[in-house]
Amino acid sequence: MDLLLYVFDLLVFIGIFGMYSLSLNLETGFTGLANFGKVAFILIGAYTYAILSHLGVPFYLCLIAGAIVAALAGLLVSLPTLRLRADYLGIAILAFGEILRTIVRAEKQIAGGVWGITVPPAISIANTPPRIDALINIGLVYFCLAICFVIVQRITNSPYGRTLRAIREDEIAADALGKNRTRYKAQVLMIGSAIAGIGGGLYAQYIQFIDPTMFLPLITFLVWMMVLLGGPGNNWGMLVGAGLVQIFDRGSVLLKDILPLPIDPLDLQYILFGALVIIILIYRPFGIFRESQVKTKALEIARSWKKKS
Amino acid sequence: MAINWAQVLFNSAITGSLYLLGSVGLTLTYGLSKFPNFAYAELITAGAFFGYLFAEQFGLGFFAALIISFVLGGILAFLSYRGIFQPLLSRGSSLIHLMVASIGLGYVVRHSLGAAWGWSPSYFSTAWSFWNIGPLRISSLWLWLIFTAVALALGMHLLLTYTKIGRAMRASSSNPELALASGINVNQVIWITWFISGGLAAIAGMFRAADTQIWPMTGWDIILPIFAVTILGGIGNYYGAIVAAFIIGLVENFGVVFLITMGLSTEYRVAIAFLILIGTLILRPQGLAMLFRRA
Amino acid sequence: MEEKILKVKEASKHFGGVYAIKGVNVDINHGGIWGLVGPNGSGKSTLFKSILGLHNLDEGEVYFNGQLINNLPPHKLYDMGLVTSFQVPRLFHSMSVLDNMLVAARGHRGNKLLNSLFLKGQWEKQEAEYAEKAMALLETVELERLAFAPANELSGGQRKLLAIAQGLMTEPKLLLLDEPMAGINPVIGKSIFQKLHNFSRNGLTLFVVEHRLEILFEFASWVYVMDKGHIVTQGHPEQIVNEPGFYKAYLGEE
Repeated sequence: MDLLLYVFDLLVFIGIFGMYSLSLNLETGFTGLANFGKVAFILIGAYTYAILSHLGVPFYLCLIAGAIVAALAGLLVSLPTLRLRADYLGIAILAFGEILRTIVRAEKQIAGGVWGITVPPAISIANTPPRIDALINIGLVYFCLAICFVIVQRITNSPYGRTLRAIREDEIAADALGKNRTRYKAQVLMIGSAIAGIGGGLYAQYIQFIDPTMFLPLITFLVWMMVLLGGPGNNWGMLVGAGLVQIFDRGSVLLKDILPLPIDPLDLQYILFGALVIIILIYRPFGIFRESQVKTKALEIARSWKKKS
Repeated sequence: MAINWAQVLFNSAITGSLYLLGSVGLTLTYGLSKFPNFAYAELITAGAFFGYLFAEQFGLGFFAALIISFVLGGILAFLSYRGIFQPLLSRGSSLIHLMVASIGLGYVVRHSLGAAWGWSPSYFSTAWSFWNIGPLRISSLWLWLIFTAVALALGMHLLLTYTKIGRAMRASSSNPELALASGINVNQVIWITWFISGGLAAIAGMFRAADTQIWPMTGWDIILPIFAVTILGGIGNYYGAIVAAFIIGLVENFGVVFLITMGLSTEYRVAIAFLILIGTLILRPQGLAMLFRRA
Repeated sequence: MEEKILKVKEASKHFGGVYAIKGVNVDINHGGIWGLVGPNGSGKSTLFKSILGLHNLDEGEVYFNGQLINNLPPHKLYDMGLVTSFQVPRLFHSMSVLDNMLVAARGHRGNKLLNSLFLKGQWEKQEAEYAEKAMALLETVELERLAFAPANELSGGQRKLLAIAQGLMTEPKLLLLDEPMAGINPVIGKSIFQKLHNFSRNGLTLFVVEHRLEILFEFASWVYVMDKGHIVTQGHPEQIVNEPGFYKAYLGEE
């Protein structure tokens, strides 16, 4: 087995899932939205990329289109659901994801239905060995990840980000202080969906084939685990969370070759994942990294004020 | 194309009965503990597997297994509450945390069942009788399903209305502080409610599996309509759930006829429940509640 | 005639056939501290909540600066300059005291998505100004040393003070305070009321529900007395204490 290639592959996945985690963190970690249908927006990004790339559209436009379509879907979903309370919102978005997958499965003409669709890679240079291909993807994915990271950091380290946290803590109080919570939530859901859409597109062109079975609620669950583990409200934590869960995911599959287990490693893995989530929620619900403060000039002013008096 | 309306109506009764069995437990715990238990699908699935274990592997037959499964399902639900949700609730966990924990629990149960029994479908070996009465095709399984649903619905009604524990359940659900102040052991009521919810889920699981197959996704296959029934009926509203179950049963089965005549894939059957769910959430989030006496 | 900042006209609200308030008329002019007193169950809370749209009035209207505000949502009222602090303070618990203040700031350009993403220059200066203002207000209620403490670490009295400071931060035209001094040391309470009084001489109007009659009467320019859902008497504090209606309302209550 090519260890280096394996590591490269792992890095690509960490990068892509890092984007998913950043997007979910923005929605739930900062704003308190119960997005249980994250995979739906990943699916939209992936399929948009796939369909457009087949029409000869250059890869960067496919990615951008994926982001836009996913964002529009986020807006569409937000219209009926954002005024609902957290549990209704979670149920509704979860159901939305399942219906979307049903539609893709049922309609062959969209993108192959259950048979899936192949996806040409974004950047392909003839006759490159797999390692170089992987490196190119790492470059592409981490470039996009960096941009998304900057976007999320800017949003959350600003008065806007402060308002998001307030909405998460107490919607009614935020409302009484003049913050139109529906507008903020809708914007956050759109941005989060856009980022997830880009991740989906990158995923599609890396795997070079997608079908509906790759967009099960399991993906949403994995991203939630990454957010909970890394620390909701902390963007750096998201990268760590994505890394750890991916490593654990790969690691347990590798273990199959080393340890003879009476149990299918895939089943064991999901049992452990489920247990891990429960343990995190009971014993350390804030994750590895604590929520980050809103870092603006206000901090300096307040600190120097204290010295004055 | 000639449509067998009688069959569609009968199928509606079947579907409604299944959804009734499958959603009453969910609506009761949702209303009482104030969060949707996403692992409910797995309580249904577990019931199917418990049934398989005792009916097929221990050879006790379907009906004996039904009773054992009820008990085991109840215990499983009770343990999940005691071990996971009660600790979370006592720590003041948010609604989102409870939901995510239930999703995690779902994975643990689903994959434990898959690990134990494998992912290939199994079947009950019970030989159900089939008859043709006029245009209707009837099976003894379906009759048993409808009978069990009606019997349990009646039983729950009697329990909730005439027994001390039933009244305690209703009081605890609508006003826990007052119930506590009135001397009701609310904790005990919660445990009993969760036990019953697990038991009912198990029965629903066995019937669903008997009608289709036993596999780790048995519960998840019908979870969307089950949630639709819960929301349409009004969370925590036992009587609402009964009515909603049959409404959705009707709409789904007539909807399938519509899909077929329109040339659409019958995969969209789930979309029907989804549309009802979304519609209810948007137009009347409290569902059918307040049209009925709250349970 | 000068437009009243708040006008409540024949307000009535019943719950299940029992009237909590009936035929209530209140006129508040610009500036000063206006009081609302009365025993428990007199309807003070209901009246307050009706003004804020938390209850739908069965009869009557509420006007803010001449505009009808029945049933407007809270953020619209905020935009118009009508701000309240809740009786049990609703604070953002895991956020710092400073952040709690800064969220309350009005018209912060940093609250626009595009500005936060690309145009930092648009709001950096405002952020600094608001930070100064927040610290100054925190000093007014003697909480400036706790600026970085999470709000949930504050005592009950401190939370009330933070809520008041938050209210002031919003640069309101009319600030409604529901029992602001409950749970606060009377000496501190008096000092804060003195500062509120100073604010009220500079364009702010305060409408305060309060049980601590001594403090309120020292600083209020006009007081309404409620009992059993009606306004039984109103006037300058010195007059009120001699009114039979006032004593009747409080008879049996210390």
